[in-house]
Amino acid sequence: MAQFTSTVYQNEFLPDGGTDVNAIVRIQVSGAGQAGTDGAAGEIIIIDCSGSMGQRSMAAARQAAMVALDNINNGTYFAVISGTHEAYLAFPLVQSGPGMVVMNDQNRRAAKNAISRLVSNGGTAIGRWLSLAKALFNSMGGALSQCHALLLTDGADEHETPHQLDSAIRSCVGLFQCDCRGVGTYWVVSEVRKISRALMGSLDIIPTPEKMADEFARIMQTSMSRGVSSANLRVWIPQGAQLMFVRQVSPDVEDLTRTATPVNPLTVDIPTGAWGDEERDYHVAVRLPARALGQEQLAARVQLVVNEQPRTQGLVKAVWSEDDSLTAPINGEVAHYTGQAELARAIQEGLAAKQSGDLSTATSRLGRAVQLAAETGNSEATSRLRKVVDVVDVATGTVRLKKQVDKADEMALDTASTKTVRTRGEGGVAGVSLEQ
Amino acid sequence: MNEINWSQPPSANTKPKLRLSASHVPDEAPGVPGGVSQPVRTFLPQPITCAKCSGEIDFDGYCLICGEKAADPRMHYEMTSCDWVAGVCDRGVRHPGNEDALALDASAFEQGRAVLVVCDGVSMAADSAEASLSAAHAAVAAVNAAEFDWDLSPQAVQAATGEVLGGVALAANQAVLDNSDLQVQNPASCTLAIGLLNGRSMLSATVGDSRVYWLPDSGAAMQLSIDDSMAQQQMDAGMDRLTAETGEYGHVITRWLGRDAPDVRPRVSVATAEGDGWFLVCSDGLWNYASDPSEMSELVAAIVRELGEPTPLELASRLVGWANTQGGADNVTVAVARVTVEPGSETQEAAENELDSATVRLRG
Repeated sequence: MAQFTSTVYQNEFLPDGGTDVNAIVRIQVSGAGQAGTDGAAGEIIIIDCSGSMGQRSMAAARQAAMVALDNINNGTYFAVISGTHEAYLAFPLVQSGPGMVVMNDQNRRAAKNAISRLVSNGGTAIGRWLSLAKALFNSMGGALSQCHALLLTDGADEHETPHQLDSAIRSCVGLFQCDCRGVGTYWVVSEVRKISRALMGSLDIIPTPEKMADEFARIMQTSMSRGVSSANLRVWIPQGAQLMFVRQVSPDVEDLTRTATPVNPLTVDIPTGAWGDEERDYHVAVRLPARALGQEQLAARVQLVVNEQPRTQGLVKAVWSEDDSLTAPINGEVAHYTGQAELARAIQEGLAAKQSGDLSTATSRLGRAVQLAAETGNSEATSRLRKVVDVVDVATGTVRLKKQVDKADEMALDTASTKTVRTRGEGGVAGVSLEQ
Repeated sequence: MNEINWSQPPSANTKPKLRLSASHVPDEAPGVPGGVSQPVRTFLPQPITCAKCSGEIDFDGYCLICGEKAADPRMHYEMTSCDWVAGVCDRGVRHPGNEDALALDASAFEQGRAVLVVCDGVSMAADSAEASLSAAHAAVAAVNAAEFDWDLSPQAVQAATGEVLGGVALAANQAVLDNSDLQVQNPASCTLAIGLLNGRSMLSATVGDSRVYWLPDSGAAMQLSIDDSMAQQQMDAGMDRLTAETGEYGHVITRWLGRDAPDVRPRVSVATAEGDGWFLVCSDGLWNYASDPSEMSELVAAIVRELGEPTPLELASRLVGWANTQGGADNVTVAVARVTVEPGSETQEAAENELDSATVRLRG
């Protein structure tokens, strides 16, 4: 049985007239077990088989897909899609009935056999691949409690309109999660990011084909270790208060406010997908009507809810005080993750400006990113930034854009821009675990 | 300071426990002679609505609508047992916590009978509040469970009722032991003041310095209880009340309930009401500001004049409020019962009984 715990990091003291409460809520799951423990799991591997893949990438992709199969637990339902400007069901070979079969040694061998025959030919229409994946998951008639796809692409989505891709993505939201990987440098980060964001998956670049197999193995292992098939972050705020935002801030930054759906007038649910043994941090910001000095109230209840059962609850509080030594300090976690979120924005805005030729904006935004990465101790972001800019002065964020930049380095900086580093996390207040 | 300090429901405890109320009383009270001793745990009812918006209070101690923090019921609670018995237990002004406790019952008995109990936690132990509350409830439960004929005459108390009261004090003492960490340097301990009423017969049984007063509407007021305190010893030796009670040892008590209690047999006094009046049990949070029975009587008379015919709860609330306006230096607990004497009743018996009031020495 999975264990759920929560910890709240905040400075609950507000000055006279203060209204805004910020807190980091850390949620930890342990003992999650393997995927499929609370119902059947489904996995679909989507391989780009467009002509641009070429011999070398295609061979690596075939090999990586087989490694992925090796990492899918027996008992999981699965399928393999080959994607071009159309979408084909590469495995299983079915003509009617459910489009996925259960993983066992025989089916694994048969799937590898089918994968070995995949060749690159044709264009790229990722929306169609997603639509087929959706149709396959749906063909299981609700037998699956957790659905996950792994999508590999190497090129831009050239054979459908952005609108077609967007509507395909929208139709898949909530049905399955999708980890996305781009191989090489001819794919478009912003395009694929739309998919990974909407379908609650990760996004990364695989710079060279030979690294593909390891990456696929890692993705499947992570997916298979998610024993909690689905959970919602449930946020309650008091009557008269305003939920300014809910943002996941670790392991990566993602504003979740747009995905919130009301449960009742004071409560929203935010889907968080499947959970393995992991910790995620959420930044919750609430605006309250100011109250008299000395008053205390609850600003938010933050719960992780599984099957409509709250499993852990952290309390975000507000206490109005005239003591400056209490109200002035910004909580360390809140400050850290506020900086990390701004870092992600600065990198993305800087790279977007650079692409559109606005070099002065690019220089100032990437300079700010260098400054923030140093301030928040994100050394990985610092080293990725240094491959794109020459740093003149870290403290003031003064940089020069490099004349020669490896495209893969720029894309790596972009895809990893949302990754955050953790802080020590001292002085948090443990929430309560709620028994079922 | 952000921790959840809301008193959790009883499921958090692993010890066997009893929830005591008039409708659920153990077959044999803990500690009563012949009864089986078992740990008694008591929990105050949680407030279920928000004082600010009338919303529901969640288990986490905050309102489900407006987020208001619910008042901790241990800091201030009021009890009304019937229309003539009520009490208030309050944190006071200066103390951060409330180690006083109040329990009373009249509904479980025949008409005219009541038990009022006040305990004053006297240790700085962390579990002092739980210990005193458990002791008060255990005492009421033990009176409930004890089989005696409610004859509160000096002779009956000397003969049999006194032993019952000894058992009641033992039960309260056991409750303190069951609800406190006995390994710490200064384990929880508390006073015990029991007031029993049967018609016009009144009884006081005390350990420590919580008090029982009889405050008739007309005639001389009296303090039924005798403190187990250094101040009382000094007064016995001839010192005047004011000097003794405001002196260096004014609040040092010589007997109490708890791990290192020297002797938990209560001092018992009885008296008979000659006319209508108020039977009052209180902690030193009140009598600190009106110790002499005549002062206490004047105080009550002034409140009664102001309010007309106050209910027992109104009177107790006003007395607690008054103590807090005097400084509220300690926790304040007041329990009162309205005693009314029907004209002509028991006059002959009273005339025959020369011991209108007496201190009864328990056999022991």
